[in-house]
Amino acid sequence: MIRSDNGYFGEFGGRFVPEILLPALTELEDLFFSLRDDPAFWQEYVTLCQEFSGRPTPLTPLRRLSGQLGGAQIWLKREDLNHSGAHKINNVLGQGLLVQRMDKKRVIAETGAGQHGLATAIMAARLGLEATIYMGAEDIERQYSNVFWMRQLGSNVVAVETGAKTLKEALDEALRDWAASVETTHYVLGTACGPAPFPELVSYFQGIISDEIKEQSMRQMGRLPDEIVACVGGGSNAMGAFGAFLDDHEVALVGIEAGGISFEDGKHSVRLSHNTGETGIAQGYKTLFLQNADGQLGDTHSIAAGLDYVGVSPILAYLSQQGRVIPESATDDEVTEAFSLLMKTEGIIPALESAHGLAGGFKRAMQMRPDQNVVINLSGRGDKDIFNIARAFPQREWTGFLQREAARSTELLAQKRGH
Amino acid sequence: MFPAQFDKLQIMSHAVVGFPSLEENEKAITGLADAGVKLIELQVPFSDPVADGHTLVNACYEALKHGGSVRAMLDLATKVCARHPEVTFVLMSYLNPLYRFGLEDLFEQAVAAGIKGMIVPDWPVEEIEPWLPKLDALGLAPILMVTPNTAPQRVEKIARAARGMVYVVSRMGVTGHETQWGEKFQNYIAEIRKHTDLPLAVGFGVRTSDDLAALNGKAEVAAFCSQYIEWQRDDGSEVAAAKMKSIVQTIAAA
Repeated sequence: MIRSDNGYFGEFGGRFVPEILLPALTELEDLFFSLRDDPAFWQEYVTLCQEFSGRPTPLTPLRRLSGQLGGAQIWLKREDLNHSGAHKINNVLGQGLLVQRMDKKRVIAETGAGQHGLATAIMAARLGLEATIYMGAEDIERQYSNVFWMRQLGSNVVAVETGAKTLKEALDEALRDWAASVETTHYVLGTACGPAPFPELVSYFQGIISDEIKEQSMRQMGRLPDEIVACVGGGSNAMGAFGAFLDDHEVALVGIEAGGISFEDGKHSVRLSHNTGETGIAQGYKTLFLQNADGQLGDTHSIAAGLDYVGVSPILAYLSQQGRVIPESATDDEVTEAFSLLMKTEGIIPALESAHGLAGGFKRAMQMRPDQNVVINLSGRGDKDIFNIARAFPQREWTGFLQREAARSTELLAQKRGH
Repeated sequence: MFPAQFDKLQIMSHAVVGFPSLEENEKAITGLADAGVKLIELQVPFSDPVADGHTLVNACYEALKHGGSVRAMLDLATKVCARHPEVTFVLMSYLNPLYRFGLEDLFEQAVAAGIKGMIVPDWPVEEIEPWLPKLDALGLAPILMVTPNTAPQRVEKIARAARGMVYVVSRMGVTGHETQWGEKFQNYIAEIRKHTDLPLAVGFGVRTSDDLAALNGKAEVAAFCSQYIEWQRDDGSEVAAAKMKSIVQTIAAA
């Protein structure tokens, strides 16, 4: 896995935080540096992932779909089969091991689609920690099922009402909490962004994905894949899927960003691929941000709450600048199409975030030969998107059910109050 | 000019450029100057002000809708620095708007406008150090922050790079909440004084005349910002200035 030069990857990365957060970041970095080369620590992490999250996740060949598209053989790395339903749990379980070593009793997290919040709530419940999850009010509306489960698991979910009320504002608010609570609280940052050491640390734990892809490809394909494709929001599943292959130059690494509705400002979340992002310093680190000429961070859009982010991993910004990672994007429409295609042809329900990887990966596979192999990282499952999908494919039957269910739950509440 | 070490406590107040509007900024600053405030921060609004509490977050959000920017800050500074020579104006901003403007250009234009110092909360000392020769040559003072959890060695490093004043963050957290000024705080101040002869500006949680009375004789400057912005927001700039006047008079009499 890639290593930073004092927190930097080329010109990107660094640690631009209010002074108050510095001691905690240094403490975390010292701990991480003392553990990351220790095989016993890695084994402890792998064992935890096996016992609790069902790793290794399978590498599934899509025989029917590959035949139908007529290009390369497509394989899915099944991060959707993790406990909690997404790759986010890998990083969280890893950070849980660090929290125990630092002896902190409270954790906080930001979340976009809610998968990282859910994973953090699960970890906190399992380790007996107090947890507060910051989530944009807009994202809460988009991903209510995850909010429901976080609260059932005992976490305090705080709706962030500032700005556009999405992931960026949730991250700001988590940093504000941390400034006041840093001595007793660990901030479980959910993606390969933010101040050092988070980009490196999150990529380290997510690297378990590419370690497994490598081994499984050798076993199942007899060689390394020709391409690996992953969706890119903050960049943690992409860094996880790419990490072990950075030096294998015959393996192309492709990151798919959220193309949204169009390339107009505020209608997409594309930072790497179309010169839409520009170098900036915010939220604790230097990377390509969507921003205006005055350096104000911009608004973003994606059908997938988890990709709707204004910055991107400094490691991916660097790798894409170096030409090692190929950045592309998929629009909302291409994504719903790929979503539907996978579901109907292979019986797998993908998350809308991951369906960006599918849309980009299918397109590339069609340009390739049948003796080639493409691995797409299916970072999460789609159950959480039931309401969004229902909106993308409106059906009278579903609306009727919601109305009856709303009536039933109103009645139940009234009865409860009556007692 | 910045106060000298052990000068009597004075107040530093605040303007968010564009809040409630660019025109109102000028009137508000005249009000503060007439009230006897000798140090004023001009804050460039930012979309993601992570060190600020909700009062300033919301003020930034409003200010951005009303044309707040680095350019607008420079224009405002040019006017108010000329109009109020007895007041020392300090630029306050998060790093990204300055970075996008171009740091070197910004430093030069800020000094040309009459700005004497700058406070950038997300700009760590390691990143500022390479700029010190340039800043010293221009006479633009980086006012760096020390926090209650800053290790003594780091306080020393920060104190060495700071110019004009050292900004003492009074407690953990963001701007706009209450603070205690007991023995722990006094030991904290004493620890910082071991490493610097610069005057100390205490900020975060200075909200009442009791807070100011508690700081009198302990620090040279009290940053009275969020509370002032709340007055400005709720009662308008004139009433806010009148309230500041009575505060300034109270500490002058103390």
